[in-house]
Parts: sequence; C-alpha cells; structure tokens
Amino acid sequence: MAEADTLTYEAACERMEAIIARLDSGEAGLRETLELCQEGRRLVEFCAGELEAVGQGLEELRLGELVTRLEA
Amino acid sequence: MPEGRRPAGIPGSELTGPWPVGQYAARLRERLRGFTHVQVFGEVVSFKAGRAKVWFELRDGSGALPCSMWREDFEALGTGPLADGVQIVAAGGCDYYPGSRTASPSFSFAVSDVRLAGEGDLLAQLERLRRTLHGEGLFEPQKRLPLTALPRTIGVVCGEHGKARDDVLAGLRRRGWGGRIVWAFAPVQDRHAAPAVTRALQDLAACPDVDVIVVARGGGSLADLFAFCDETLCRTVALLRVPVISSVGHHTDRTLLDDVAAVACSTPTHAAEAAVPLDCRAARAQLAAHTARLERQGRRAIVERARTLARLSRAPAAHVERHRARLHQHLREIRAAARRRVAGESSANLGAAVALSRRGRAAATAGARGERRTISDAAALARLAALDRRRRDLDRLAVALAAHDPQRTLERGYALVEDSAGEPVTSAEAARRHPRLALRLHDGRVPVRPEPPVA
Repeated sequence: MAEADTLTYEAACERMEAIIARLDSGEAGLRETLELCQEGRRLVEFCAGELEAVGQGLEELRLGELVTRLEA
Repeated sequence: MPEGRRPAGIPGSELTGPWPVGQYAARLRERLRGFTHVQVFGEVVSFKAGRAKVWFELRDGSGALPCSMWREDFEALGTGPLADGVQIVAAGGCDYYPGSRTASPSFSFAVSDVRLAGEGDLLAQLERLRRTLHGEGLFEPQKRLPLTALPRTIGVVCGEHGKARDDVLAGLRRRGWGGRIVWAFAPVQDRHAAPAVTRALQDLAACPDVDVIVVARGGGSLADLFAFCDETLCRTVALLRVPVISSVGHHTDRTLLDDVAAVACSTPTHAAEAAVPLDCRAARAQLAAHTARLERQGRRAIVERARTLARLSRAPAAHVERHRARLHQHLREIRAAARRRVAGESSANLGAAVALSRRGRAAATAGARGERRTISDAAALARLAALDRRRRDLDRLAVALAAHDPQRTLERGYALVEDSAGEPVTSAEAARRHPRLALRLHDGRVPVRPEPPVA
C-alpha cells in the first residue's frame, strides 16, 4: 500500500483528530460521514499496527548481528 | 632631603654612591628591558583588568612572575578574561615601572602575546572549529531531518559497560516503547573514541531500518569530552541521513557533537525520551478512545438518519391509513342505511299485503253471505272487482320488491366480486390489484385468483 509507506504515525493521528472534530461538529452529511468513518478506521488500523510494532517488548541486537541478518 | 645635595655615604663602605634612587630605578628599568625577550608558560592566577592594562600572575610549581599586558593587546586576542588555572604561553620581556614620589614602583613581565595552552588551548581550538562548522552551515542539516514520533528501530552508540546504556533503556521503558535497539558499542573517552564513534554512526546510518541514533555517555571531564568535538566525527554526523540525538555534554560545556546533532540532551535518559517523542502507553489509550469515538459517530450518523427516514416514511402511510379508515366508515354507513331502507320498505309492503289479503278474505265471506241473501248484488260485485284489483296491485309490488333484493339478482345468475375482506370489488383495476378474490353466487362464495397479466 503506497499510502502506508509515506504515512507517519503523527500524520495519521493528526488526520484522525481532524476527522473526529468534523464528525463531532455534526456538519458532515451522510456520505461524508461514512467516508470519514471508513478513512478513520483505516487510520486507526494503521496506528494500531505502528503501536503494535513497538509493543512486543524490547529486542536488543548488536550492530554486527543486524548487519549479519541484513546480509543473510 | 632636597635633591641635588648628595648626603655622605656610609662610613667604611666600599660601595659606590650614594646615588639618587630615581636615577638607580631608571638604570634598573633600562637593564631589565635589556633582558632577552622569551616565551614563558604556566597557570594564570588573579587576573585583573585595569583601565589601560590587565594584570595577572603566572605560576608553576617552582615560582611565579607578575605579568601585565596592554588592555588593547589583550582584548585583540579574543580569549575573554582568563580564569584561575588556565594554562598559557606568554611572550614578552621584563619591565620595571620606577614609580615616583607619589607612586609605588613595580616589576612585571610585559606580555606582548598569549596563546592558550592545555585545556584552554583545546577550548580555543574548539571555538575556532565551532565557528568554522557553523560558517559552513553544518549545524543545520541534522535539524532539518524529521524525527519520527514512533521509531521502530533505534541505534545507540555508547560504552559497552557504562551507565549510559542502562539510562537509555530506562528512558525507553518510561515511554512504554518496545521496539528494536541496535547497540553499537564504542570507547567513549580515549583517543580511539572519535574514530570508533564515527564508524559506529556510519554503520548504523547505513542500516535502512534504523530510524534514529542516540549517542550517549555519562558525565566526564571536559578533556574526555573532546572526543566528541572531533572534526571528522562532527562533519560525518552533520551529513548523516538519520537524525542523531546526542547526550554527551555537560550542563556547562557543550561539545561540537551537541551542536551538529539534530537534538542535544543533557542525559542519556532524556536522549532516549527524545528518540521516542510519543508516550506509547498514552498513545494506546488515546487510540482506543479515538476508535470508540469514530464507531459511535458512525453509528449515530446512521441511526439518527434511519430514525428520521422512518418517521418521514411513516407520515404518508399514516395519512393514507386515516383516509382509508374514513372511507371504510362511510362505506359501512351507506351500506347500513341502504339495508335499513330496504328492510323498512319490505316490512311496510308486507304489512300492506297482509291487510289487503285480510280485507279480501272478509269481502269474499261477505260476498258469499250476500250471495246467499241476494244472488245478484251490484255493490257486491263492484267490491269483488276492487278486491281483485288490489290483489293484483299487491302481486306487482311484491315482484318489484323482490327485484331490489340482491339475493334475487344473484339467483338470476349474477355474481358479486369480493376481496379477501369481503368488501365488494367494483372495478377491473381494483380486481387486478388483489391476489385473491371471491365470487359470491346466490348459494355461496367461490375463491378465485385473477390470472397474471399477459406480458
């Protein structure tokens, strides 16, 4: 997914907050609301994935080990 | 004692004189100024700045020398006031101020040039290098690199057995961060430090996974920190594509690495926190809250609209239903009125018929009696004729009455079409709308089903 390559956690959070503010305002029409919810869910998934990636507990590597692993 | 008059010398002394002291002092100055100019080195003590000159003493373990320098010359050096203990090399020669009747004489080593030595020298070099790097704009590139809020892999350059390593881990734990750390251990304080740290940084930056690099070491003397002021190291860091967070300096002494790095922190713990700006635990809680809000808003948007739609869609149906009920009521009233009228007429006719037939029978009996009395009686005959006429009238009325009875109509072979509720269906259009119909014949109902329309 091209979007995930460029999307950052902070950008996703910022967009999500904008979406929630827009939904809270009650001004969005039905179509917009549904589209925003869908986009919001995608962002939530992305952020959850990012948090999940650093929620597995510390993994400690020596530089040499990383290089070996990259070369393998 | 007035000048010009020389007093007698000390009896028995073999020395020349006595000479006037001012003359001697002037000769002394000439002799001292004639000493060869040299460079001396030592530690500065008691630096004072006067209006025209600065003063300080230069000391070492075996002696000391009072020094003076023209203030203008000193300020041209750009070192600022010299702190006690600063090592310098001073160039100059001896001088003597002969004093006067009102001024004390003094001896000093007249300094014409100074070079900071030892730490002082390092600081001066450092300052020069800092100006050079800054002039080349090398403090900027690292600061322009974006720091990700949530790095997955963090490279750490530190001593393998130092406290810095634990501090970094503590900082990361405080953030609730559990990603991947790549340790690049390097000596952090001897002459091998700078090249080793430089290599470690280059190797870490070459790993595509590494999002940010922390260079950490605990405190240390300024001299130890000079490893992190190495020109090659600083130039390398300035041009790395990965942001570097430094925590090598003191509160007071800033290393050049602190200047070129993206972020400079005072402790390794802070550096770790700077590497992961996001508090992961708080972020998880916030994400859950965001998710709930999104779901709630999405649901609300649909439920609210569905409710409105339902309300809107019920309105016309209710309207039609009200009209339908009123129509049915009217229909029932009309039908009831018709039935009442028919029943009323029918009973009235029946009453008339009964009365007529009674009168007919009475007339016939009277006629028979009269016949017995007077066989031919014109009045009686006329009565009989009238009776006969009335009977015929009655028959005609009965037939007309029967003609109005729907049952009779059915008996004549007609059929009534009804819907499933028993209501009459009076048009073909209405009949086509009903899936089921019933034909009411005089002797009962027959359910029927209209054929589907031919396409």
